Amino acid sequence: MIFLFIGLPLVVAAFMPLIGKISKKFLPDLLANAVFLVLFVLAATSGRQLIAGGPVLQSLSWLGEPVAVQIAVDGFSLLMLMAIALVTLCVGLYSINYMTPYGSKANYYALLLMMVTGMNGLVLVTDLFQVYLFLEVAAIASYALVAYGLEHDELEASFKYLMLSVVASAAVLIGIAILFGMTGSLGFAGVADALRGLDSKLAVGACAALFLMGFGLKAALIPFHAWLPDAHPSAPAPISAMLSGLLIKVSGVYALTRIFFNVFGLAPGAWLSQILMGLGIVSAVIAAFLAIGQKDLKRMLAYSSISQVGYVVLGIGIGTPLGVAGGLFHLFNHALAKSLLFLNSGSVQQATGTRNLDEMGGLAKRMPVTAATSLVGSLSIAGVPPLGGFWSKLIIIMALVQAGHGVLAVAAVLASVVTLWYYLVIQRKAFFGKLDEKWKAVKEAPFWMTAATVILALLVIGTGIFFSAIFKTWIQPASDALAKGF
Amino acid sequence: MNWQIPLLCGVVVFCGLAILAKDLIKAAIGLAVASVLLGILFFTMNAPYAGVFEISVVAGLITVLFMLTIALTKAEGEVRERRWVKIAFPLFFVAFIVIDVLVMKSLLSKVQVVASGAESGSFGDVLWKQRTFDLIGQLAVILAGVFAVLALFRKKDKHD
Repeated sequence: MIFLFIGLPLVVAAFMPLIGKISKKFLPDLLANAVFLVLFVLAATSGRQLIAGGPVLQSLSWLGEPVAVQIAVDGFSLLMLMAIALVTLCVGLYSINYMTPYGSKANYYALLLMMVTGMNGLVLVTDLFQVYLFLEVAAIASYALVAYGLEHDELEASFKYLMLSVVASAAVLIGIAILFGMTGSLGFAGVADALRGLDSKLAVGACAALFLMGFGLKAALIPFHAWLPDAHPSAPAPISAMLSGLLIKVSGVYALTRIFFNVFGLAPGAWLSQILMGLGIVSAVIAAFLAIGQKDLKRMLAYSSISQVGYVVLGIGIGTPLGVAGGLFHLFNHALAKSLLFLNSGSVQQATGTRNLDEMGGLAKRMPVTAATSLVGSLSIAGVPPLGGFWSKLIIIMALVQAGHGVLAVAAVLASVVTLWYYLVIQRKAFFGKLDEKWKAVKEAPFWMTAATVILALLVIGTGIFFSAIFKTWIQPASDALAKGF
Repeated sequence: MNWQIPLLCGVVVFCGLAILAKDLIKAAIGLAVASVLLGILFFTMNAPYAGVFEISVVAGLITVLFMLTIALTKAEGEVRERRWVKIAFPLFFVAFIVIDVLVMKSLLSKVQVVASGAESGSFGDVLWKQRTFDLIGQLAVILAGVFAVLALFRKKDKHD
């Protein structure tokens, strides 16, 4: 059953170009969204029962013969699968209307499904080389999706993303090669066991540095962030939502966290923990200030993503159960809220033809649903109660204080205030104030685009209101899984 | 004599040539030479499979595909059809596949994998029986690449 998370999108993607020959829009829309729905239902209904007795390792068999395909699901993987399924479903619905003018929908969905295959594969494998393989699957699909509009800016951003991402992949591969050379194993558990018996701090430090650089580039942590403010705004809005909402977290934060905890055995107060916290707080604070100066709506959101990923890494880097749980909860909240905001930015751009905040104003009168859902997403990321972002930031700050990092806690609070500031700037410049004459004819986004943003906004509100139940059923098991390992 | 350092230098120099050369044929040849040197380097490091794959796929097959593409296109984007290419390429391709399969078949069961590895047995056993999932991952990488090419080279529809 677990293999469906990888196999289903892969198989449907393989047939998508053929389906595109039969029907240009309807069948690709229907089939891709059906796959996203099935994956969501699987993650939501059967996942938790499956891991009730602890992590599940599943091996495939073919005609009664065992095949060496082993994947595993634990609380952490399940949380990521759920986040991927939720965001992808909303992105799929949004794409029904939004991607129509781009043409070749079958090809678009094929790439989107490949991206989902890559991300799902990445969170389910238990082997370092397979991490690299699925990282590449998701990355290759994302290069093409960033450039999907084929305009000059999109191609340039995609090329920049490709160049930096290749450096990241090379760093990860070298790290894996060194670990394999040292331990003779590639499985997480095998490498972790072998490392315990080795006294080679220098080589382990070199691998950790390579992984930090590789996954740090994928997660766009400062100082590895240069590609993100170009790539994310240039992509079509649903892809921006996938990249900012999911990809940087799965191929950056998830992979880094899984390897640092379950292979290197990260402990609170250790040097790895200090480095992660350092990178996290620098990203959270500097990117928040960089976001203020932006006039391009999507570019501002892109800088915000760097800042919020900084919070996630800060929380996880603390290494205590509370810190890790806070980081993971913020990851989940940010996935929902940032996807929502990028989808909203797409609705605004499609309606007005601009992303420049200075040219907007008063759009709430013409696009009330987009304005309302955008406000929900903004307030959640800014950490306003009772929305989800408030609780996750509160937990991270409590964990910082509890672990004796008072200065970092103050810095995190200040960065949160700056975040609130630039999100209010977005709201004021884009949606509130006097409606400009030239926007009189603007209309609310089409049905599926609005429906997707409403679903995400309701999820953001629900995560805040039912935070206790969600924390207990989804976040705590994820944090426990990291502490225990496979 | 240790040949690894001069070989490595050669790889870097010819990779540089592949990036810097403006003539596409020179760039393709630069890549092929770099790949051959890398393949030899793999042999000297006791990794014959990596060497055979590198030389046969990158230096061989990919270079042929590059050359063919260059030969079939003009700067204006018109395709220049040449009869000898149409005949020679399929013949070369089939010959290449046959030789490759024969070489790989003779090697597959002979050389052991890294002695310290968790996987044991012949290369074929490890590739097909113990690392099967890698093949699925590689299939996914190739599919993603194919879709990326289809998307980036599609006939562009107008959008605002």
